[in-house]
Amino acid sequence: MRKTIAIVEDERAIRDNYAAAFSREGYAVRGYPNRREAMAAFAARLPDLAVIDISLEDEPEGGFELCRELRGLSAELPIIFLTARDSELDAVSGLRLGADDFLTKDLSLAHLIARVNALFRRVDALRRPPEEKQVIRRGALTLDGERMSAQWNGEVVLLSLTEFWIVYALTRHPGHVKNRQQLMDAANVVLDDNTITSHIKRIRRKFQVVDEKFDAVHTVYGMGYRWVE
Amino acid sequence: MGRLTDLMNYGPISPFRLRTKLLLLALTTLALPWAGCQYAREMETVLRESEQQSLLAVTTTIAGSLKGRQELLFRADSLPGDTGNPGEGDITPVVLSGAPLIDGRADEWDTDARNVVRVAGPGGDSLRILAATHERWLYLALLVRDNRLVFDASELEPLVRENIGDRVWLAFDDKRGGQQRLFFGGTGVGPLRGRFIETREYGREQAVEEPRIEAVWQRTRNSDGYVMEIGVPLSMVGQHLGVLIDDRDRRGATRESYGTLDPSDLRATGRLIAASPDLGDHLRQFAQPGVELSVASATGATLTRLDAPALPGDYTRFRGFLPRMYRLFLDGDLIPRSVTEAERQRAAQDLTQRAVKGMPATTFIAGRYENSVTVAAAAPIFAADGKRIIGVVQLTQTADRWLTLRDRALTRLLNLTLFVTLFAVGAAFWFAGRMTLRISRLGQASETALSREGNLSRVLPEASAKDELGDLSRSFSSLLGRLDEYTGYLRTLAGKLAHEIRTPLTIVRSSLENLESEANSDNARIYIARAREGSERLGAILSAMGEATKVEEAIAHSERQRFDLSALVRTAVDAYRTAFQARKFACEAPGDTVEFTGAPDLIVQMLDKLIDNAVDFSAEGDTITVELRVEDGFADLSVANPGPALPAETSTRLFESLWQSRTEADKRPHFGLGLYIVRLIAEFHGGSARAENLADGSGAIFTVRLAR
Repeated sequence: MRKTIAIVEDERAIRDNYAAAFSREGYAVRGYPNRREAMAAFAARLPDLAVIDISLEDEPEGGFELCRELRGLSAELPIIFLTARDSELDAVSGLRLGADDFLTKDLSLAHLIARVNALFRRVDALRRPPEEKQVIRRGALTLDGERMSAQWNGEVVLLSLTEFWIVYALTRHPGHVKNRQQLMDAANVVLDDNTITSHIKRIRRKFQVVDEKFDAVHTVYGMGYRWVE
Repeated sequence: MGRLTDLMNYGPISPFRLRTKLLLLALTTLALPWAGCQYAREMETVLRESEQQSLLAVTTTIAGSLKGRQELLFRADSLPGDTGNPGEGDITPVVLSGAPLIDGRADEWDTDARNVVRVAGPGGDSLRILAATHERWLYLALLVRDNRLVFDASELEPLVRENIGDRVWLAFDDKRGGQQRLFFGGTGVGPLRGRFIETREYGREQAVEEPRIEAVWQRTRNSDGYVMEIGVPLSMVGQHLGVLIDDRDRRGATRESYGTLDPSDLRATGRLIAASPDLGDHLRQFAQPGVELSVASATGATLTRLDAPALPGDYTRFRGFLPRMYRLFLDGDLIPRSVTEAERQRAAQDLTQRAVKGMPATTFIAGRYENSVTVAAAAPIFAADGKRIIGVVQLTQTADRWLTLRDRALTRLLNLTLFVTLFAVGAAFWFAGRMTLRISRLGQASETALSREGNLSRVLPEASAKDELGDLSRSFSSLLGRLDEYTGYLRTLAGKLAHEIRTPLTIVRSSLENLESEANSDNARIYIARAREGSERLGAILSAMGEATKVEEAIAHSERQRFDLSALVRTAVDAYRTAFQARKFACEAPGDTVEFTGAPDLIVQMLDKLIDNAVDFSAEGDTITVELRVEDGFADLSVANPGPALPAETSTRLFESLWQSRTEADKRPHFGLGLYIVRLIAEFHGGSARAENLADGSGAIFTVRLAR
């Protein structure tokens, strides 16, 4: 059965372009221009994944509201924020509302599709029993590449998809410095320096929530970051 | 953003301009003392005239009281001119202020005075008659040149021919119209008595002493003659008086007579022009403090004089420095220059002459002392018929009293105006100073408010002042406010623009990506690739435009931590060596740990921008020098590169948003945001950024000062 992706985007051209791209990948796509129509449809039937713009027609924060309502309907549904707004504050707000990823519209369609596929893979993986071979252990850290989930000292650390991929890239070769470009490639994103810095900061903070003494991500100034066990 | 200061700099501004102007303005109060002086002069003129008039009135009154009183003026009902002929024998005594000592010495007499009567005798002998009056006495000094003084042989028998030596005869009218004749002679020098010759019974003549008349004779010092002083009560003497010398070569010899008497009958023909002693008493009733009274005959000879009683009180004129200064420009023509005694007398005589012609007259005469002035008035005394003029009354009053009063008033006025002027000048100075201070404070505040590009502080001093400066300040504030809004608008414009363009760009890009996946001809793929390249560049431009906003956000969310700044710089430079292999890097950072509190990510980002800039402006193979110098309280991080010099006027503007001074075509998008970000980060660390040319002109150096 084809998976359904809902695109909530008020710009018709963009919505249609995304829809075309997802359709080409074999997904069923439904587009909504605003929160009202989207919620009406979601109430009838949930999609398998939602791509939401923050600013929706007359509601500048409509996407956030929609995300909250959608999370109310389903805790597992993957939600991606895709927006022209790229401020730190928006990203933090979006992820705090339970979105799985926060992407800017700079992202190419290919990258977007890679992320969507990854999210579906994660959803599928979560339904299957865990496979040991996909699991990376680095000291207190346990990474499940299939489920795209992270644990620190056995406690789950909720990472967004981008964050997960950054941690994943850093821990594949602990002690090696990964520069920003490498991290961007690993995360399938095109981000500027400030956004990478913000992601690293958020990752540290999320680990610090479960362990105050967490200090495994080191900054190598001018070069990048490395994972230190 | 243009700088208002550039508009304001129309010339060098001296901080004293306003103050000087107001000071000059305040100096116009100096016209106050000037006006005061003018007023004082006017007042003085009035005062002087009234003084003259009142003195003249008194003079006229006195003259009126003497109308027809010949007997007071001349001790007789007839005038001197009425009897006999005016001639050489007239004796005009001077009026003395004190009685002379009758001692046979001529020392105290003025032997050259105009009133001296000279008579030549035989054989080179001569007689000089000097006369003076004091109160009720007539004094005569007879200066006789005689080569041989012959004394009488006997005091007891003065009338025996053989005994008679040199004799002096004094003859005068008495009040009853008779003639009095006295002779003086003696057996030696010293006091002697005048004697009448009385004819007794049988024609016997006898010499009788006149006790009321005093006389002393002495030889002159060089023995060329003798001096005889005689004191006669004025009450004895009528209108005529004369002296005769009987000179004898030896006792009993025939006399050789000469003098002002007729030798045959010893009758006095010369007039004695002197006032009655009662005139003094009469005048005394008009005496006033400070007023000198004198009466002169119609010929100008002084008949009597009443010296001025002393003025009560202290009438010393200006004392002290300031009053002296005042007098310099006050007195001017008011006070006659100090004059000689002769000039003073001539002035008095001129006045008398005018009165003699029948007109009362008044004038100012310089006083005897420096800076003293007298006012004099003269009025004619008419005879009983009211036509003839028998004499002149002259009053002289010292002006010291009212001059002193004027001086005091003036001093007070001038002191007051000087004080007011000083106060006004002081007040103006203070006001100007305060004004200048306020204006310059406002000016400075508005300048600094402007120079802090981007962050205008809208609160200016004086905003609460209720005067025009307050208005100005509020106008400035609202102007700056609008400027601030405008600057803010400009600052966020790039970000907003980037955001607005992003949506259509997304449409273009996603459309291209979709198009790419369709089956296309080779040509179409080329065009699509070009279009994608273009849209990617557009995207890069957009993110560069939004970068400043992002950095501002990043700064807002930054957390400070302690780290080793030196290690950070060294690591970063190592990274640049790898990243920019076409450049060489020199790093001069302390080997020790440099503890620093800040945001290391931001510091690195700032360094990135500086290095980017240095790389852009240097050539391949050049060495870029990164230096960290640590001082007390701050650290200087500088990046120097060889290359073109900075345009002179841009050294501060370089760090402004969207300032772009590069000219060469460059493929990478440049919005001059790099150095703006440097500034933002430096300011976040309590520091500042500046750009300079290297001293040898070989390139530029950008220095960021960070507070530790």
